[in-house]
Amino acid sequence: MLSIIFSRYVKILKWVARAVILFGFGYVVWQFAAPPPILVTLGAPQTVQTLHPKMGVHTRMTDEVETWKIKKNYEMVREMGATYVVEFFPWAYIENAKGEFDWQHADEMVDYARTQGLTMMARLGFVPPWARPENTSVTYLDENAYQDFGDFVAAFAEHFRGRVNYLIIWNEPNVNFEWGQRPVDPAAYTALLKAVYGRAHEKNPDVKILAGALAPNLAPPGATDAMNDLEYLDKMYQAGAQNYFDILSVHAYGWKSPEDETPSPDRVNFRRTELLRDIMLKYGDDAKSVMLTEGGWNDHPRWTKAVTPAERIQNTIAAYDWCEKTEWIAACALWVFRTPAPTYTFNDYFTFVTPDFDAKPIYYEVRKYARGE
Amino acid sequence: MIRNWRVGSLPFALVLSTALLLIAYWLLAPQSPPKPDDTWTRIQSERVLRIGIDPSSPPFIVDDGTGKLSGFDVALANELAKTWGVSIQYVYTGFDGLYDALNAQQFDLILSALPYNPNKTQDVFFSHAYFNNGPVLIVRGDDATTTDLANLQNRTIAVELGSNGDAAARKWQKRYALNLKQFDTSFDALRALPRGEASAAIVDPITFIDFQRAEADTGIKNWRIVGKPLADENYIIAVRRDSPSLLKEINAVIDSLRADGRLEELQKENF
Repeated sequence: MLSIIFSRYVKILKWVARAVILFGFGYVVWQFAAPPPILVTLGAPQTVQTLHPKMGVHTRMTDEVETWKIKKNYEMVREMGATYVVEFFPWAYIENAKGEFDWQHADEMVDYARTQGLTMMARLGFVPPWARPENTSVTYLDENAYQDFGDFVAAFAEHFRGRVNYLIIWNEPNVNFEWGQRPVDPAAYTALLKAVYGRAHEKNPDVKILAGALAPNLAPPGATDAMNDLEYLDKMYQAGAQNYFDILSVHAYGWKSPEDETPSPDRVNFRRTELLRDIMLKYGDDAKSVMLTEGGWNDHPRWTKAVTPAERIQNTIAAYDWCEKTEWIAACALWVFRTPAPTYTFNDYFTFVTPDFDAKPIYYEVRKYARGE
Repeated sequence: MIRNWRVGSLPFALVLSTALLLIAYWLLAPQSPPKPDDTWTRIQSERVLRIGIDPSSPPFIVDDGTGKLSGFDVALANELAKTWGVSIQYVYTGFDGLYDALNAQQFDLILSALPYNPNKTQDVFFSHAYFNNGPVLIVRGDDATTTDLANLQNRTIAVELGSNGDAAARKWQKRYALNLKQFDTSFDALRALPRGEASAAIVDPITFIDFQRAEADTGIKNWRIVGKPLADENYIIAVRRDSPSLLKEINAVIDSLRADGRLEELQKENF
């Protein structure tokens, strides 16, 4: 009797063991039989259809890993009617060791943008560890390492000759945070321009060096965290920067002000750009043009520097329109088309498209403007 | 002896059944209650709750410039403190630095108009949501038939141009053949309803509460929210991952406030 019970029990256990083995086999197959990678190709060359060819946006593809997202991003930029894109190319990502360059991701961004008919403006900065002392930030560059940065800029100009002709040297050097947490120094930044200008032109005669990209601010004289952008540009000219850049890069944020608010040295507004232009004229640099490589408005519901969503749309379109009609402005790239991931802060309210590629109302309104609808 | 250890043998069956019994006991046996975490223990012993805030988010939390704080989050913090019998110490931190400061033990929790962030679930624990700021559908008070967007096919929806409500409406526009009418402000969109210019409006709930207060003097009660928010934007409290007891206590307070209607009252008082 006992043996019958046990034999039945054993039979059940055998079935359980078989089921476990089968499940385990299935699990292994499921784990290893991953779907094949998605094939993404450049596709046929496209052209931007727009009535306003100076329109542009700053993109953030540097942190984007998946190729299809890079492609989709630039497709949507083209469909919105923007011609220019500004993108960040961190030096440390490309030249991780002295003289060893990895262009893979940079090539991908440039080629997908160009296939969509977009003109790329490359922002260069972000110091690799080998080019700066230990325990310094990624924005710290000693003058004795300017040669290394010059080598990188020359290599970049050569590698992207015929593909990228606009190089923005550094970002907001008038802010301590962007100048290695040190007191800012317009003369030292001018020396940096001198270190790269000739070398970039040597490798690519068509290249344009964009300088400035200053953070608009009202820091009083002697402030420790930043220098007023007007004062900084003036000091750049005094230090002899004029012959070492081709175009002035400007960051033009409107904050709470409308697009057409009159510029004034004691106000940060969109038209502050005109005050920077005045400094260029003061030094007889009127032949050079200006490119807006950051700027715009934010429509966060509670952030203190934000406007309403409707105001943001109206200001943005008016800003593009002003750029289009202003002769000395060559391009107007506003911050920021899309970020790879949400930040869940006010920063998400600068974007035109969500990380999931949902176009925001501002995207549709700007597209209508570009199409003349 | 070993020869008898084949599958189906008696010894094998006995060992296997013993193992199964042990596993069942391990899974089902009563667990001893977890020890309160250090954060909760400290709050209890020192009778002080340290809250990380960026006081620049009205109507949730704002500093009037003299150090006096007000807003919905402050009211909620007071409820936590009252329930636990502790005092509050606010620690001012920039919004971008709140998570780092929390994990650096600068305070016990973040209560500062903090939206749920799925990217942070590996770093902190989030409480139950205490407010959903997702856009809501508003209809006239005398509209008893509309229960959601599906009832509004081929009808006109009023939105504030560029707002989250506008974005939500554009998303559903094709599916329900919605006719969108955009206004410069949410208040203008809501005022279009009694005038018969639109069948419904989509705005965020804070704006709606604010609007009701602004229109209260007129004596008109012409608007009501229908259905659930069209998108979620949940606000939560964050604690360190080593503070599960604190999280449990926070959730208990939030759940209790929601159950007795006090949470809704606090919203009305502060929005």
